[in-house]
Amino acid sequence: MSKIGETLDDLKLIVQLYLAKRHESADDGFDHSVIAHGRGGLRSGKISELTVIAPLREGGAERLRRILEIAKGNLGGATLVGTVHDLRFVFLDNDTKVLFCTAFDGEWDHYIEDFATKIPEMMDLLFDNIEGWPGIKSATVKDFILKYQIPASGWYVAYPHLTVNDVLRNDVIVKGVNKAIDDAQVIRR
Amino acid sequence: MSSLLQRLFHLSKVNIELDDIQAVILRNRPIPYFGTNALLHFESAAAGRELIKKLLPLITSAEDWHQAEDASATIAFTFEGLRILRLPDASLDSFPESFREGMAKRAVKLNDVDEHAPEHWQKPFGTGQIHAAVNIIADTHEKWQHALEKAKAELGLLGGVTLLHQADFAATEEAKNVFGYRDGISNPTIEGSGVDEVPGFGKPIKAGEFILGYPGESGAIGKFPDPELLGKNGTFLVFRKYHSNVYLFNKFLKDNANTDYEQELLAAKMFGRWRSGAPLTLTPEKDDHEIGADAHRNNNFSYEEDELGKTVPLSCHMRRMNPRDTKQSVMSDVNLHRIIRKGVSYGSAPHKDAVIDDGEQRGLYFIAISAKAMDTVEHLQSQWVNEGNFINHGDEKDPIIGLNQGKGLFTVPGAGERRRYHAIETFNVMQGGEYFFLPGLRALKWMSEL
Repeated sequence: MSKIGETLDDLKLIVQLYLAKRHESADDGFDHSVIAHGRGGLRSGKISELTVIAPLREGGAERLRRILEIAKGNLGGATLVGTVHDLRFVFLDNDTKVLFCTAFDGEWDHYIEDFATKIPEMMDLLFDNIEGWPGIKSATVKDFILKYQIPASGWYVAYPHLTVNDVLRNDVIVKGVNKAIDDAQVIRR
Repeated sequence: MSSLLQRLFHLSKVNIELDDIQAVILRNRPIPYFGTNALLHFESAAAGRELIKKLLPLITSAEDWHQAEDASATIAFTFEGLRILRLPDASLDSFPESFREGMAKRAVKLNDVDEHAPEHWQKPFGTGQIHAAVNIIADTHEKWQHALEKAKAELGLLGGVTLLHQADFAATEEAKNVFGYRDGISNPTIEGSGVDEVPGFGKPIKAGEFILGYPGESGAIGKFPDPELLGKNGTFLVFRKYHSNVYLFNKFLKDNANTDYEQELLAAKMFGRWRSGAPLTLTPEKDDHEIGADAHRNNNFSYEEDELGKTVPLSCHMRRMNPRDTKQSVMSDVNLHRIIRKGVSYGSAPHKDAVIDDGEQRGLYFIAISAKAMDTVEHLQSQWVNEGNFINHGDEKDPIIGLNQGKGLFTVPGAGERRRYHAIETFNVMQGGEYFFLPGLRALKWMSEL
């Protein structure tokens, strides 16, 4: 296709997106734009994404699947970290590879060393199923993660201005205010 | 402090190569002290190597570091400096990315943006012209002058080395910064350097956090530059120059508190200590000069009884920079983010009633040492200084060194009401800085003979 053809196609897409947004989108006043940030992934406001596709060891899928089934989503280590909005594992290509996606506050490489002293067992239990995992305490673990990282091409965050702590704090405040209002309505006679 | 350390020093506990480590890493500054920071440019590899050879006899090792006596010199190099010295490519490539890029290129990571951005820095910072930094410090004016003259004479005889910038500094017995506060009280103790636990200084931290080539807190030895002769016993140093708008700080206190006592209390809540250095934890109501001056007591406290920050606000400067046993809302190992601080003040300390800019240059040379000093300072700047998330304070920044730009917020929890102070200015303005590598003594000799 010629350069001009591409440009015309681009224009068409821009017009289509504009029309779709005009009819079917809203502005909540928050800046949802994403930027390439730090080593790897995209960032939207205070939140970053990490997407990794890595090969699994022999029997790694089975082991990891079992761990995740036992946990049923209750990954207390992630709660302890305090910055993780969500994370997921997806098995690919006949259980030979795993897709790991997560959204979190700030930058992941700031805290790798903290993971290595605070939750090393949890990290290695999950990720040692990956072929060649050097161990969370290894000096090369950041490079290993980067090797399999694929930056997202598109990503949307509903509240780019709020961290996990902000969301939880706001929740406590709203509940507390409502309780105070409820308590105030009790007839004290 | 040095007498305290002399008593606590045990040769049997030494398991790091003190005789190969530059003294500055472990040696406590004499008090009072007199010193000079010099920034140098090498015109050729030969000139740089010659300078190292000439300075080597002046550079003291950390052996007997607990007895700070004579004048001592320190030398450190930027990545540009190592390149000019023509270190082998394999060596150059083995340095961490942050060091190779240099501080100016790491501006976003350091939150050095807007008025703190490299384009506003004083020359020669961030220009690539700075190749080495030399520091000379002594406990008397005479010893300092003598060592300085000696170093300058050597420099004068050499062609091809340019003195880009010279800054002299000194501190009296009170070791006060330009805001009028005793500074440099708390520093980490290093395991294997031969000390017992000092009350309040926390458990000694694994040597590998501060000196390359030893196991760190995780038990593993981190990456260090190749070959081992170059990397082992070396470390990294972060240098940042700040100008202090003390008049804005004084004005903020007067605008936000009525009586002199209330102003002093608000200021103590912002720093975490009173002017004497006495920590709020030990004396919450008023300053206590005896505690402030007593090295056995002025750092001996924890936040165990103050989880909510009703005595020492979670957001104050001291508690942010060393959270000790504070319960953090982001998982973090405080021992991984400690630095050895060797900062010095420059310029005069204005009276606390001064609320108008007198145009004088004053502030702080922030000097931090750690085996991963770049990572640590980038972490401090982005997570602990210019953020509040780790203490569940939203966007709130450090009230003293945050880039607050007149929009800063500072929360002071109290017994009853919780007060929020607004419109905090940037009290310390970044003037420029560099990342340095501080090699061991054998490495210096090797570098000079390449």
